[in-house]
Amino acid sequence: VSEQLPPKTRDALTELLLSMADDEFVLGFWDSEWTGIAPMLEEDVAMSSVSQDEIGHARAWYELLASLTDDDADAIAFGREPDAYRHAALMNHARTDWAFTIARRFLYEHADAVRLEALAGSSYAPIAELAAKMRREETYHLLHFNIWLRRLAEAGGDARQRLEEALTRLWPDAQAVFTPLSGEPALLEANVLPEPMEALRSRWLERVSPLLTELRLPVATDAPPPDGDARTRRTDDFAWLHGQFTMVARSEVAATW
Amino acid sequence: MGEATGTTGDRVWEVFRQESEGDPMVHGGNVRAPDEELALHYAREFYGRRQESHRLWVVPREAIVELDDPDLLQPPFDRSFKRPGGYLIKHKLEAAKERAKAAPAPEAGE
Repeated sequence: VSEQLPPKTRDALTELLLSMADDEFVLGFWDSEWTGIAPMLEEDVAMSSVSQDEIGHARAWYELLASLTDDDADAIAFGREPDAYRHAALMNHARTDWAFTIARRFLYEHADAVRLEALAGSSYAPIAELAAKMRREETYHLLHFNIWLRRLAEAGGDARQRLEEALTRLWPDAQAVFTPLSGEPALLEANVLPEPMEALRSRWLERVSPLLTELRLPVATDAPPPDGDARTRRTDDFAWLHGQFTMVARSEVAATW
Repeated sequence: MGEATGTTGDRVWEVFRQESEGDPMVHGGNVRAPDEELALHYAREFYGRRQESHRLWVVPREAIVELDDPDLLQPPFDRSFKRPGGYLIKHKLEAAKERAKAAPAPEAGE
């Protein structure tokens, strides 16, 4: 299939796949840090499972990417320097506390849902098929984090205060999920990406606003669009996480796992 | 998880699972959760995330009516006549089969 795509479209497609794969991969690693220390046993298992789901989605995107570039999915996932990752700035932050984790997941899950809905209509069949499959799992993630957002907001006190602070802090970086791609015009022209990122960002704002407003949580629907470097700037937090998740792969580069 | 309510005010929910359509619902175990929604989510994680369940029922433990009175469940008198094993029907059954073989098949509609 990849041979049928003009080089310009193919390059843009690899940019899109890498951004989505890295979003899921990095977030999956951050939140898997809750294994063993989540607020209660049941949530511990649930959070670990949801994080594994994200790493599974990352793997599917990396494999599709690898098939286009004649590369290896593991090499893409674990073989890059921190500066070569393309996740949104939202995933640059450390795990922090439970309220921060819930705030980030709430913002991200809705963004991912909007993105997957659009891609389910992609003219590029492998993307459309994967997006449709992922949506089935993501529906459950979405519900899970909606419930937790409400719980923390309605709990009041320290929980609510931490949640408000986290939402305020993460809001600008959450826009970064919809950073326009450099190859976006080619993807739109070929209908690989059915709608511009900026249109998807507007839809996402419409999705998250009602619940945030109902719970009287901070929401700024006039948030400025993401900066140009919203998928390229990296932090010390991420450099640390990168060291963690590449540790085993780096220990024996030539090994077959 | 033994207490009906934990220190956080969580409730205990009993989980029943069905392996495939038509199978009986079988008690799988329980989860602790603050509300119905999270109870369902946790039940799914503990009893359904490996494709081992076709359907789950999640029931608040306090909704279960329990009977464990030995006077009712283990009565003191001999009640073996209430069990099918209390009768020996092997010979009767064989005789009935013989009769069925010997008799002509009934006409349709009779």
